[in-house]
Amino acid sequence: MMRLAAPNLCIHEQGKIDTLTNSRKWLLRGAAALFALALLYPFTAFLADVGPWQWNESVRGPALSSVRVSLSLTALAMLIIVCVGTPLAAYIARCGMRERLIWQAVLLLPILLPPLALGILLTLAFGPAAKLGQILDRYGLVMTNSPLAFVVTQVYIGMGYFVLGAIAAFDGVPVMLEKQAALLGHTPLQVFARVTLPLSRLGLAVALSLAWVRAIGEFGAVVVTAYYPAGIPVQLWVNLQSFGLPSVMPLLVIFLAVALPFPWLVHVVAQRKRHA
Amino acid sequence: MLSVSIRKQRRDFSVSVAFDLNPGGSLALFGASGSGKSTVLSCIAGLEEPDQGYVRLNDVSLFPPGLPLHKRSIGYLTQEPNLFPHLSVRENVHFGVKNSSNGHFSAGLAEWISELRDRLDLSTLWDAPASGISGGQARRVSLARTLARRPSLLLLDEPFTGLDRQLVRKLIDDLIFWNQKLGFTMIAVDHQAEVLERLCPQQALVLEMGKIMQRGSWEELRHAPATEQLRSLLSPL
Repeated sequence: MMRLAAPNLCIHEQGKIDTLTNSRKWLLRGAAALFALALLYPFTAFLADVGPWQWNESVRGPALSSVRVSLSLTALAMLIIVCVGTPLAAYIARCGMRERLIWQAVLLLPILLPPLALGILLTLAFGPAAKLGQILDRYGLVMTNSPLAFVVTQVYIGMGYFVLGAIAAFDGVPVMLEKQAALLGHTPLQVFARVTLPLSRLGLAVALSLAWVRAIGEFGAVVVTAYYPAGIPVQLWVNLQSFGLPSVMPLLVIFLAVALPFPWLVHVVAQRKRHA
Repeated sequence: MLSVSIRKQRRDFSVSVAFDLNPGGSLALFGASGSGKSTVLSCIAGLEEPDQGYVRLNDVSLFPPGLPLHKRSIGYLTQEPNLFPHLSVRENVHFGVKNSSNGHFSAGLAEWISELRDRLDLSTLWDAPASGISGGQARRVSLARTLARRPSLLLLDEPFTGLDRQLVRKLIDDLIFWNQKLGFTMIAVDHQAEVLERLCPQQALVLEMGKIMQRGSWEELRHAPATEQLRSLLSPL
């Protein structure tokens, strides 16, 4: 009897554990859903009664122009950030602890500053009042209210986010794997391309996404350095000032539609390749 | 010819060793855990730089100055297989082998890789992701990857730790087979005398606190151990 009962008990206990695990899973899923609802709650404001949304010619023209400015110049800024930031992050990730702390402090500075303050500093440092600004101006490189000013500001805004994220991503790659690859005859550049980059791509994707969303949504610094050409955040401000909330809403929808796909796709590609 | 004379300061003691090894020869580095054996291998491989001394392999100076790792004809096997997890078993084995200009291996090279694959029983896992294979399989892949390059010097830093005796015996047999076939020089580190004795039967070098305490054949070591620690290490459990 006992011998028969024991296996039954085991099965029963196993079933109980499964049920517990399942209910815990649903509990966690419910908690995550609640969190998501709280996070997305502000978006219910799209249903707020602000009057009929305004999308006439005086709103549409500048709005579409701001979309072009934001997408093209932010993409250019990201290209610069990735080209400069990736090797820099790879270097910092493998340098000594003291040097690394200094680099990290340097990278934190532009992140730490209120964006408006950063915009003011950039204008003072690169603008016509500064020596460097005058020299650049002589070569046709206008550093205020120009596409160049827009891109430079976004690079300053996004660089710290990307590099700090990329350092963390490179930290996750075991140094011994890189050394083993070198002992197998690969030059440092080949090791980076064939081992370090593939193994850190998910972290790099997160870093790039953060830099992108931070840069494309930037208002405080850009409004000081590059009021023209207006990107989406500045145009939102202009719309609010000139036409009120009904002209802000459609541009907000467009902003979400154009700003979200890139970082989301980066995540999808990085994760799919990881699980491939 | 491998010529080594190095000094490397560690936190608690200084590792100081010097020895020569003929091409195709094998040497066992034997000693208790923490005696500096792995430091010696690491300095020869180039993973660490000695504070003083020199390392020369077949008239090429590996140190000083430190020759970049990718220019050293050295295979280095450790306790961890260190496979590239994002690659398949096949890609791992091919990793250190240079393709010809049209992206294919020469007939001789392809035959050599097939031999490694078949002898190490890798055929069934050839296209499997390296991240999904067992520890024993990973060691076999790691060995195939290292030998695929035909290194002049093979460094073995306790590569059999944690494996069952059957697999250890098989891997040792394979290593001896290829050592005779390819003629690479071999230095092995382990704290199990029986493993080293099979792998490097001619001579052993005993390290204690970074210093060479004895050098000779296994018979000499067993017959007249220079220190109490060595006597204890060689005695049965």
